[in-house]
This record gives sequence, structure tokens and C-alpha cells, in this order.
Amino acid sequence: MDVFLQTLVAGILKGGLYALIGIGMTLIMGVMGIINLAHGQLMMLAMYVTFVLNTMGVDPYVSLFIAMPLLFMLGVAIQKFLLNPLMKVETILPENQVLMTVGIGMVLTEVARFVFSSDYKYITTGYADRTFYIGNISFSVALTIAFVIALSFTAAMFWFLLKTDLGRSIRATAQDKDAATLMGVNTGRITVITFGLGSALVAAAGCLLAPVYYIFPDLGGPFTAKAFIITILGGLGSTVGAIFGGVTLGLAESMGATYFGMEYEDIVGLTIFILVLLFLPGGFKRLTKV
Amino acid sequence: MKKNLYQLILPAVLALLPMAVKSEYFLHLMILFLLWVVIGSSWNILAGYTGQVSFGHAAFFGVGAYTAGLLFQHLQVSPWWGMALGGIVAMLIGLPFGAICFPLRGAYFALASLALGEGIRHIATVAEGFTGGMMGIMIMPTFTSKAPYYYIALGLAVLSVLSIRAIINSKPGYYFVSIREDQDAAASLGIDTTLYKNISLSISAFWTGMAGALYMNYMGFIDPNVVFSLHDYSVMAILVAIVGGVGTIYGPAVGAFIMVAFQEFFRTGFFGLFDYLGKATGSPAFTALSGAVRQAHVLGFGILVIVVILYLPNGVVGDWEKIKRNVFRINPAG
Amino acid sequence: MKGTAGKAFVVVAAVLSLVMAASAGFAETIKVGVLLPLTGSLAKFGEIEKRSYDMAVGEINAKGGVNGKKIELLFEDDTGKPDVGRSAMEKLISRDKVPVITGGYASSVVAATAPVAQQFKVPFVICTGSSDDVTEKGYDYVFRVNPPASEYPNAVKSFLQGVARDVKTVALLYENTAFGQSSSKSFEKDAKDLGLKIVVKEGYQAGAIDFTPILTKVKAANPDMIYMVSYVMDASLLMRQSKELHINPRMFVGGGAGFTLPEFAKSAGDASDYVYSATLWVDTLPFPGARKYSADFRKKYGAETEYHGAEAYATMYVVADALKRAKSLTPKDVRGALAATDMKTAFGPVKFVSYGKKTQQNKLDTYMVQWQKGELEAVWPKNVATKKYIYPTPHWDRRR
Repeated sequence: MDVFLQTLVAGILKGGLYALIGIGMTLIMGVMGIINLAHGQLMMLAMYVTFVLNTMGVDPYVSLFIAMPLLFMLGVAIQKFLLNPLMKVETILPENQVLMTVGIGMVLTEVARFVFSSDYKYITTGYADRTFYIGNISFSVALTIAFVIALSFTAAMFWFLLKTDLGRSIRATAQDKDAATLMGVNTGRITVITFGLGSALVAAAGCLLAPVYYIFPDLGGPFTAKAFIITILGGLGSTVGAIFGGVTLGLAESMGATYFGMEYEDIVGLTIFILVLLFLPGGFKRLTKV
Repeated sequence: MKKNLYQLILPAVLALLPMAVKSEYFLHLMILFLLWVVIGSSWNILAGYTGQVSFGHAAFFGVGAYTAGLLFQHLQVSPWWGMALGGIVAMLIGLPFGAICFPLRGAYFALASLALGEGIRHIATVAEGFTGGMMGIMIMPTFTSKAPYYYIALGLAVLSVLSIRAIINSKPGYYFVSIREDQDAAASLGIDTTLYKNISLSISAFWTGMAGALYMNYMGFIDPNVVFSLHDYSVMAILVAIVGGVGTIYGPAVGAFIMVAFQEFFRTGFFGLFDYLGKATGSPAFTALSGAVRQAHVLGFGILVIVVILYLPNGVVGDWEKIKRNVFRINPAG
Repeated sequence: MKGTAGKAFVVVAAVLSLVMAASAGFAETIKVGVLLPLTGSLAKFGEIEKRSYDMAVGEINAKGGVNGKKIELLFEDDTGKPDVGRSAMEKLISRDKVPVITGGYASSVVAATAPVAQQFKVPFVICTGSSDDVTEKGYDYVFRVNPPASEYPNAVKSFLQGVARDVKTVALLYENTAFGQSSSKSFEKDAKDLGLKIVVKEGYQAGAIDFTPILTKVKAANPDMIYMVSYVMDASLLMRQSKELHINPRMFVGGGAGFTLPEFAKSAGDASDYVYSATLWVDTLPFPGARKYSADFRKKYGAETEYHGAEAYATMYVVADALKRAKSLTPKDVRGALAATDMKTAFGPVKFVSYGKKTQQNKLDTYMVQWQKGELEAVWPKNVATKKYIYPTPHWDRRR
């Protein structure tokens, strides 16, 4: 029983972090209909920001407030100068924007390697391996904090999208771009802001992950993959769906690791992904309509 | 007329190359280039002509390579038989691949193909008993000389490009393009879109698998991270086609050349030029520059991709007129 | 337009002729090819090994080189990928025409490049790549200075027989890489010979975020020993999370790779205390020049070295020794000289012998080290120990 409960807790805590990685992706995919294959690389960059700030004595949780605006600006620049110009260009493949994000991801990774080399960097904090116990079940303090922050960000995003004018414009663009344009929404500006927001959110995930994990230039790829799995599970553009998708993926990986074997961790994630694509297109969002 | 002349001269030059050039190293680069011609062209028929952008071509490449490797490992059959079977096994893998991916469109198709490619890599890693896991499969290459491999690669490249060209210029080719342009319209005209997508995928998988089988024979070593690599094969196949020109017959060949030359150029620091300048002038700046250039070979490639997508969205071949106009300032009218 | 092109042509031609002149100018040196991952994810070790090769060649050349000629190293970057490694190997053989090639870090690169050396009959002296089968193919132009992966746990085996005789059950965790999979296989065999029961055996993808699930499983199985084959950061996470979960076996043992690196102790903090590891080398071993090598390395580069660096450093001396004894500088004669190698190096005695299925393989002892208060101490075998082993490992809640 302890094994089961501990696995459950581990999966849910990890899922919280995954959710935060997924929210940014789901926004971008929902609004622009493109997969951002540089998503994990943006997170990697935020982790390096956290690392550099840490060497100057800034706590990872404080660096949230620096990394998020920085990555917001980077996201805005990427959308404005690299992705939006592609919308006007006539090409054979509509996927040019996706391929562009591949190029951006490569550049980000290699720039990081250039500046920081391939060495592993890590942040040591007083609380990174602190734990507390409920019964026999251990909770990692850092992951629990990450979980709580992830939940509050999601709640904030939910409120923002539902209650503010900007949020409503974003949702309108996601639902029907042409109609939104007709209603007077400046969709070009909306896509720029959305990409910035998505980048800032994944930056937050990076700051929270940095103390419990480590940092190297190639870490982006696997997290990009996790982000799109979460997005497909949750449904495009759905923040609540991202939480569901993140926790589902976290749980599936943990349960898979305990009951099948850890080497099947990634296979479990990919299998769920393909099953959802085939049998529940639209993801969790289709069931709940949120 | 002029075009026909090129078509005769180029193969003749390529065929005579090993006799003129004695450098094994140069032939090795040419073999890599020819392999990429095959992979790039195969990706192109599915994505560039049929509009199904696959992010999982490493699956076919790897399956082809493993067919050859496993035949040797388990049955002590010469891995050259893999050349016969690799393409067919890759085609067979293509069937479930298509069954899963083809109901999906656009970004979803791309994601599903990416997931399948990665899934196969994980399975090959975990199935240690069958595939040898990460310890890989090692064989002794048959020939010491590069020339036989070069000719096989050349044959493969020529056959794949010619066969793809023949198909594109025939009825199925038109169906492919109509599916790419508007799938629903194609279906309403009575084209069996699923069937033709599968045909396109089969051709694509077949040639990619053949390239994989040749890779096993030539390199003598494979492991799952090498041949099922998302970055080194699935993504690279896309980049080769994009740089050269998606949806053009010779685009991937041009892209392959640019890519192989580019990578080797950077990896060796412009063939040791900067190192030499550093030594000759005694200036540490050149040595540092050489180090930086070597470090930057993937960075350079990433920037190349971004620049190409921004300014030559149809690739070097697709936008050739534009390049002539803007770079060489040649007016086609004059 | 034409004028600029013409000028550019002149410049290019001038540069090219300079390059040619230069290659003629360095003719009196002996060129030795070195294949290492200098960029990419393995670049960290490539760098340590490159520095060690440079240091060794500097010392050799300062003492007059090889029979009056200086050695010049031609480094080729294999980026850790077999196909690139093969390009690099072929460039060294067919363009640079080197009489001997050394280096070889990643197992996959070594596996792909060794047949090339064999086919072209140019000797390849491997310093690090450890997958067993490379020296099991009967290649007579391939030599290996380091022990193969299957022999890394030899010292652990003798420790289990000599000291930790109360260990009956083992959990085996390993990364899914060539090194991890082959080490785990050979450890499984050793465990069987010793009559140990393997209660958990799990492979994992290197780079996992959370090991809690398998560690929970390990905790429930309550083994006497946990044997882990992991790279440095996975090693650190495994130990940190073992601490979080309060897993208390009688000993934690790392199978080489990441567990001996300074980064492991730094990033894992006190969770690294008392962890044992198999290793191939520590600088306190009684080999000539071992201490001096690590001290010089620290002085010259301001960084720590470890066993990979020592492998590279010693291998360079082996190559130089063979070049000195070779009748001529043809690959064939250098191969002959290498086969007759019998010398002492900072990495231990080197002699290429055949045993079991292996040929031209250097046979070396392996050692056990233990982290004690942030320092890596040699603890086994007793004759090389710098500190006494602490066994069994204290319980987490009884520490400090």
C-alpha cells in the first residue's frame, strides 16, 4: 500500500510541474494552431537564467520574477520577427512555422552550449532535498512548492482568460481567427502576446524545476515532447485541460515506472498520447467543455 | 536541350568520380551525401508532394538498418540481404504507421509521426534480448575500399530520384498533389485519399529503409540512438528537403549536398584553415576562432534553417529564380 | 563584379598555397591522430582527455621527443556520434596519413571506428571506450589500454567476498546506455557467482527527473546493497532521492562512470557520503607519476582531473613508447612495437595480452573508492587504501 501511495504522490507532484510546462504550449497551440517545437528549449533558457542569478545569490523562486519577463520578451520577439512574417509567405507546406520553431530550438540549444558549454550545471539550495512525511509517505518540499505555484498560475490564467478583455480576445482568436478579426481584434498583436505569455509560463516551470533537477543545453527536447503530450491530453487552449494532462502524464509515468519498470516510462507516455489522438481527439476538453 | 545535357553530364561525372578522386575521405563524404539524397527525396514524396509532414522518418531508416543488422545477428545471414529486405520491412512498418497517422491532419499528423518514431526508438532500446539494446550491432564491413559503397549509394540515389520522378509525373503523382492542395476536394473528386496516402508512404518508407540498410552495411555499427535519432534523422530529413526545396524533384539532392558540405566544413574548422592561420601568425585569435567555428556547426545549421525559411521558403531549388534575381542580379528576361 | 571575384580568387589561392607550404614545413614531426568528442554532449570528457594528451605530449617533446622528432597531435572531433567518428577516422588515415591513432571515448564511436582502423591496417590505441566486444573480434590493429566494462565491478566482487559477506540481496539500477546495459549484465553474472539474490533490476532512460517510483520499489524490497550504473547527474538525483525516501541498505555502490566525479559529491551534497564506487584509477595509487599527473593537471588547467584523464595521459605515453621502439614509422611497424609494449604508466602497468575471448587487451586491477566527508578515498583493496572503509553505511536518521 505504501508503494502505491508513494507512487501516487510522486506522480501528482511531478504532474503539477508538467502542467505548468503544458499551459504555455496549450495557449500557443490553441491560438495559433502550430506546435512550438522550441518549447522545451525556452524552458532550458529560463533554467540557465535561474542558474546565473543563483550564482549571484538570487533564490530560484525569486528569479521567477526576472526569468518570466525576460522570456516573455524573447517570446514576443520570436513571434514578431520570425513567425508572423511567415504567415504572409506563400509556400507549399503550411507547416513552415512549425519547422521554423525547430530551427529556433536548434539555435537556442547551441547558443546555450556556446555560452555555458555542455557541462551540467546545478543549483544547490537548502530546501532542494528537504522532505516532510505524512504517515510513511514522503513529500519533497521543492516539488510540493512547485505544485502549489503551478496550481496558482493555472488559476490565474483561467481567471485572466475568462475575465479580462485581453484574455477574451485571446480566446476569441483561438476559437475563430477570422471572426475575431472582423470583431475588431488585432489578431497579429494577440499572437505576439500569446507567444510571450506561453514563453513566460514555461519559464516559470523552468525556475521551479531548476532546484530539483539540473541544467544542460540538450534538456529541451524531452520536455518539448512532454509538453505536446500534455497539450493533446488536455485539449488545445484549455488551461484546466493542461492541469489534467500534466497530472495524467505524471501519474502514468510514475505508475508505469513502479508497475511495469522504469525503462517503460516514456513508452507509457507515448502510448497514452497516441491512444488519445486516435480515440479522444480534442482531449479532455471535449469531455468537459472547459 | 540544355537541361538534357546536364542530365547526362552529372551522372557521368558522378560515375567516374572514384576513378578520378583517390581520396577515401572525399568518397566517404560523397557516400553520406548520396545517402541523404535518398532520405531527403523519400521524405519529400510524402511531405512535399502529398502534404503529410512526417517527423518520424527515423523509424523507417532505423528499421531498414536493423533489418540488415538483425539478419546478421540472429541468422548469420550476410547483411547485404538486408538491402533486399530492409526497404520491404520498412514498408510493412509503414502500414500501421499510416493507419495511425492518416486519419489525423496537419499538426496532429506531425505529432503522431514524431511520437511513433520516438516510440520505436524506446522499444529498440528496451528489447535488449532481440536488438542487443544500446550495445548495438557491430559487423565487419565487407569492402575495405570505398568505391563499391559509393556505387551502391549512387545506384540507390539515382534509382530513388528517378522512380520518384516517374511517379510524380504519372497519375498517382497528380493525386498526391491534389491531396496536398485540398484533401476534401480530392476526396470529393473520387480519389481514394487514404489509399494514395498509403502508396506515397510506402514508397517513402521503402527508400528510407533501403538507405538504412546501406548505412548498416557501410558503417558497420548501429544502436537505437544512432539510427532512430529524432534529431539526426527525422528532423535532418526535413531540413535537407526544406533547404533544397520542398516539393521539387531535385531539391532534396541540393539540400543534401549543402548539408553534408556545411557540416564537414564547420566540423573541421574550414578544413583546418583557421588552425593554420593561428599557427602561422601566432595570433591566438585565429585559434580561438577555429574553436568557435567547430563548436558552432549545429548553430550554423540552425541559423541556415531560419534564414532559408524566412527568405527562401521554397528552398534553394524552389526559389532559384528569386536567388538568380536578387543575389546574382541576373534578369531572366535579359 | 568580375574584379572582386578575381581578387577573391587570388586571396583563396594564396591561402591554399600557404596551407600546402605549411604542411610541408611541419614534415619533421610525427603526427599522431586523436579521436575525441570535443563538441556535443560528451565534450566535457573530451576536453579533460584532450588536455591530458596535450600535457603528455608537452612533456615528451620537452624531453627531446621521439628519437629526436617531436610529436604533433591531430585532434579530430567525433562529436560523440559514430558516423561523424568514422568520417574523422577516415580523414586521419587517408588525408593525414598518420601512423597511429588513439583516443576513442564513446563506446558507439569506438565500435564504429575500430573496424576502419583494422581494415586500413592502422593501429588504434583505445583509451576509454569500454564496450567488451571491441577487443573480442580478433582485430590485430586494435589495442585497448582501459579495462572493458565487464571488469569494472571486479573490485566490488572481492570486497563482497572479503568484507561485506553479510550482503545477500541486491538491487540493480542502470541507465539504458551501452555502458549501463553491459555493466549490468556482467554484474548480474558476478552476483550469481557470489550467490546473491537480485531483488530489483531496473533500467532507466538517462536524464529522468524523478526516481521516486523505482526507489520506492527498492525500499519495499529492502536489499542489502544497491548497485547503480549511472552517469553523474542521475547518480546525484538517485542519492538525493534515496535520502529523501530514507532507504537504508548496508551499502550504496556506484559502478564507475558518474559516481567518482567531483560534481557528483558537489551536487548531491551530504547525500553522497559513504557511497562506494568501482573505479579504474585514483591519484593515490602507487603508480609512477600518478600523483604528479593530477597535481600538474590542476596547476596547468586550474581544474580537477579524474580517471578518464589518466587513461588519456597514460595512453599517450604508451603510443610514444611504441613509436620510439618501432623499426620504422609505418603503421605496420608501429603495430608490431605496440604489441610488444610492456611498461609502467601513471594509469598502471600496460601490456597487451589475450585472455578469454579478448585479444590485445590491457589487463588491469580495478579499485573501490568511498566518499568520506566530501573526499574520495581509496578503500579497497587494502594495499592501496588511503582510509579504512566505513561499512555498513550508517542509517540516514542516525547520521551527524
